[in-house]
Amino acid sequence: MVKANVKISRDEFFRVRGEVLATWPTGAAVASLDEGIRRQQALPAHKQFARAMSEARRKGQTLLQPRAGVALVEDHVRLLNYLATEGEADLLPTTIDAYTRQNRYDEAANGIKRSEEAGTSLLNGFPAVNHGLDACRRVVESVDKPVQVRHGTPDARLLAEITLSAGFSSYEGGGISYNIPYTKRVPLAKSIRDWQYVDRLVGLYGEAGVTINREPFGPLTGTLVPPCISHAVGIIEGLLALEQGVRSLTLGYGQTGNMMQDVAAMISLRELADDYFRRDGHEDFELTTVFHQWMGGFPEDESKAFAVISLGAAVAVLSRADKVIVKTPHEAMGIPTKEANARGLRATRQMVNMLTGQKMGDDSAALRREVDMIKAEVRCLLEKTRELGGGDWAVGAAAAFESGVLDVPFAPSIYNRGRLLPVRDDEGFVRIYQPGNAPFTPEILAYHAARLAERSRTEGRSLSFQMVTDDIYAISKGKLIGRPM
Amino acid sequence: MDKKRATIVLGVIGSDCHSVGNKILELYFAKRGFHVVNLGVMVPQDEFIDAAIETGARAILVSSLYGHGEIDCAGFRERCVERGLEKVVLYVGGNLVVGKTEPEIIVDKFRKMGYDRVFLPGCNLGEAAELLRQDLGITEPLDPE
Repeated sequence: MVKANVKISRDEFFRVRGEVLATWPTGAAVASLDEGIRRQQALPAHKQFARAMSEARRKGQTLLQPRAGVALVEDHVRLLNYLATEGEADLLPTTIDAYTRQNRYDEAANGIKRSEEAGTSLLNGFPAVNHGLDACRRVVESVDKPVQVRHGTPDARLLAEITLSAGFSSYEGGGISYNIPYTKRVPLAKSIRDWQYVDRLVGLYGEAGVTINREPFGPLTGTLVPPCISHAVGIIEGLLALEQGVRSLTLGYGQTGNMMQDVAAMISLRELADDYFRRDGHEDFELTTVFHQWMGGFPEDESKAFAVISLGAAVAVLSRADKVIVKTPHEAMGIPTKEANARGLRATRQMVNMLTGQKMGDDSAALRREVDMIKAEVRCLLEKTRELGGGDWAVGAAAAFESGVLDVPFAPSIYNRGRLLPVRDDEGFVRIYQPGNAPFTPEILAYHAARLAERSRTEGRSLSFQMVTDDIYAISKGKLIGRPM
Repeated sequence: MDKKRATIVLGVIGSDCHSVGNKILELYFAKRGFHVVNLGVMVPQDEFIDAAIETGARAILVSSLYGHGEIDCAGFRERCVERGLEKVVLYVGGNLVVGKTEPEIIVDKFRKMGYDRVFLPGCNLGEAAELLRQDLGITEPLDPE
């Protein structure tokens, strides 16, 4: 049997590293790993991402983090400082532009040039590779909070080398979660290997005593993704990261909008991940969680958008998320202004402050049933994945996507089957409508079918793709469930 | 409109991987009777044009959701003309620019780039299909929704 989930040897890592750094001229400046390690060691405690996450967990806090990134360095620094002061953000991001995510650095260069001419950002993020080490250092050194790289990059090796060397102390993504929802034709075996490199790099910083936080991207396509699918992907990426020496892991989940399902999802994510990591022999890790406010389509009306944001903020606290990723009232129109971004943060802050310490319904039988159901579903997906890989999670993950055992709804990748379809039930829970090849037990499928039959009866129409489409647009049109008028 | 099914090319331009709306547009326009050639996400300008030439498509529907529309969509009309598609109907829609901007400014910008129609978030698909029918000079009514 092939083995792919193995720790990359130092020799192999440094051989590949030479190739990675040569893919764009700015790679040369980070040739010395020791210099990067020294910069990380020099970070004050309050700017270390892993420490902030672990303190939040210990104190029972939910930290706030926006998404943000623009084309030019000084504008980006101003943006981050604005979100820290006016937005009261606890953690800062640097969202990377979409050209850099596809390694199209020449197009990013054009975007920088066009943005300079226009006097405003024409890119949807910060092109960190083009700007290079010194500019990235300027970003980290100009703000007083921990900064994370947030992106969507299937091959994020050079981006990681540059940003980690500059002092960014958390790195989002993974070989599945930054492939399947983010690109069209990159084979999973390649993106998984390239992300093992990133995790090994984080592991090398770790060997020098520097803990860099890693965060697999939970929400995937952000479109009616059943919790069991994103949990399975997050846990596999966690296992792959731990193997390479990652120690600080934050697993994520995207809000569906049904409060009980969302709380159950966060509880089950924590318990399942801990269980799977320990069963594979990992003991020395720190697991935290992140809750993403609604990732699907938003209402255009800003007041309505604030309601969506606030519901997410409330559920983040009630589900004990260690961090919440915050949306903005401009979401329906795309990239927000810094003012709109700060308004989303302040609405979230008020809700988080009011709810922190409150508990509700943890002992309810209905909640426990949903937790158990999600766990049973995830075990179906993960046990089959393990079996397909002969015990190797990297081999298993690629095989699972190829056979449709793992199948992400509405994903753009040609390596995703796209046969599994979700739809909401009569209470708004996201359920499995068509399982495709996902190996759920007959009992699980019967449970989903029974819940969906209730909705069919209420609406007097049978399940159909139209119903799925109605659900996709429901929140942007003012409600949770896409019922006919 | 069975007898005169018009072929249209659909895709998300540039490095954009927003796939959900694209899948829904494909199903919708097919349902209304168009012959849809869907190129999916991350489509370069020339791939749209290649597909239109190969299939004899009379319209190209370009989507852009991630904010780089201004860069990715520039020069597309000129490129169509250069490659012999002088008469192709060109639509563009989505979240076309970075930052919340007045609709008139966006529409004007993309009309000047040579797009026949510009669609912004929240537009009605039924109206878009009806406009497409008129722009293509199809006299039969569209298939029902």
